[in-house]
Amino acid sequence: MACYDLHIYIPKEVRMQNYATRSETVQQIIKSLNLTRTLYVSSIIIGEPWTGKRTLVRHLFPDLPTADGHDQEAVEALLGQTDALIIEHYEKIPNTQRLDFEDKYVIAIADYAGNTKLLDETFAFIYHMPPLRDRPEDIQLYADLYRQEATRTLMLDTDISLEGDILDIRQNLRSLRASIYQEVLLQKGNRDALERGLYHYFLDRLPEEADYHYHLGLFEKPLLEAGLHVYGSQLRLAEALGINRNTLRKKIHAWL
Amino acid sequence: MPGSNATDLTFFLDTDHSPFVLFDRHGVIVYLNDAAEILLAYVDKRELFDLALSYAPNDFGARTTPMELHYRQLNFYAVTVAYRDEEQIGIRLYYRPRTRSSQPVDPSRLKTTNINTILEAAIAHFSMKNPTRFDLLTDADLPEFKLDQNGFSKLLRRTLHLFRASADLHISLTMAVGESIMIDHTRCPIVRLTIQANGRYSDDDRTIKALADAMRIITLLDEHRILFDIPFIQE
Repeated sequence: MACYDLHIYIPKEVRMQNYATRSETVQQIIKSLNLTRTLYVSSIIIGEPWTGKRTLVRHLFPDLPTADGHDQEAVEALLGQTDALIIEHYEKIPNTQRLDFEDKYVIAIADYAGNTKLLDETFAFIYHMPPLRDRPEDIQLYADLYRQEATRTLMLDTDISLEGDILDIRQNLRSLRASIYQEVLLQKGNRDALERGLYHYFLDRLPEEADYHYHLGLFEKPLLEAGLHVYGSQLRLAEALGINRNTLRKKIHAWL
Repeated sequence: MPGSNATDLTFFLDTDHSPFVLFDRHGVIVYLNDAAEILLAYVDKRELFDLALSYAPNDFGARTTPMELHYRQLNFYAVTVAYRDEEQIGIRLYYRPRTRSSQPVDPSRLKTTNINTILEAAIAHFSMKNPTRFDLLTDADLPEFKLDQNGFSKLLRRTLHLFRASADLHISLTMAVGESIMIDHTRCPIVRLTIQANGRYSDDDRTIKALADAMRIITLLDEHRILFDIPFIQE
């Protein structure tokens, strides 16, 4: 007989090949899924798109066959062929009541819950993958991973900084990754690349936005921000740029 | 003594399914039938004597009172209390018929299972949303037995959810020594799972009872505790 207080052990970070998390909730999902892998039970993971549900399941169960809920017949066929399977886009299955999960090991993945009562009756375990906004510990983790991936993919020699409000998590991992690649390209772009970028920017906006003064801000605003950061005072910056101090003050007033 | 004047009714009383106990004026048991012997494993004789006095008719005779009585898995819907002198008083309790699943246990659904694994998975699942502290008393050497894994996992998830407001949860999982239940004409030992806290929700009690009944699990739903007597099926 064992008698003990159960303290759920949460490591600071879980890293598997191509999957990492610092979120306690996600680590509990991993633990629970791992415990049930020898059982004939049905589980579902529900969460917003691009929260890492599918990646997690694929890495925990790389050998399980997968069916897509957009195709009910394919799901039913796979259920008839195998005892263990993954069903993606479960919420898209037109008639879930036709599916028989008895004596199966099923992991379903859904972007939203739909009929919660039916889910409650169907699944033994119902997991909710939190969105990235509720996993601040994972935002930084993935930002670092994507930054390393981007510098490696784009064959850059030096790292970049991710300061300021540049991480976009509105579409969870998808927009986070896009925002980091965009930032890497911008920070490491040379003069030619920046000019080409601006050229396409203007092509998209002219003739509707043919305002010279407005577009001047594309050059002056970042120059003044970086200049003040480097020189620390308007006086020294004016001297360095070779412009009058009053002119600099007017530009700062206009753009910053 | 029953039937002492003419026919000895002891045999008939002993074969009666309903517990019957005869007390003397001091609460000492004069006679009890076989069903009452089982009942006394779950309730103190003093409590039964008090019950008899509380529901005795105002004058000599008998009175039947409908009431819900629960002693662990034994459920009663009425008691009759009778006395014809000041020396002896009898009480008979009426079993509530147990609703039996119309279908026998489907052996294909039963898989050899380490119940501790399901319990651990259910606790991990529950801990995702609840910062509850668990005090576990489990028999790590409990042999594997046959269980509807999906059904039991569902039952456990819903049961733990009823304790979502509890800061501390006490769970014990042991073999119930010396107890058994009949499953499809076969006597099965019992694995007893008890989940206890300071209080609990009861909004899902009916579903939990139905899920458990379908698996032939006997359920006790108390104010602070839920108990499952799970048939230990190995063949």
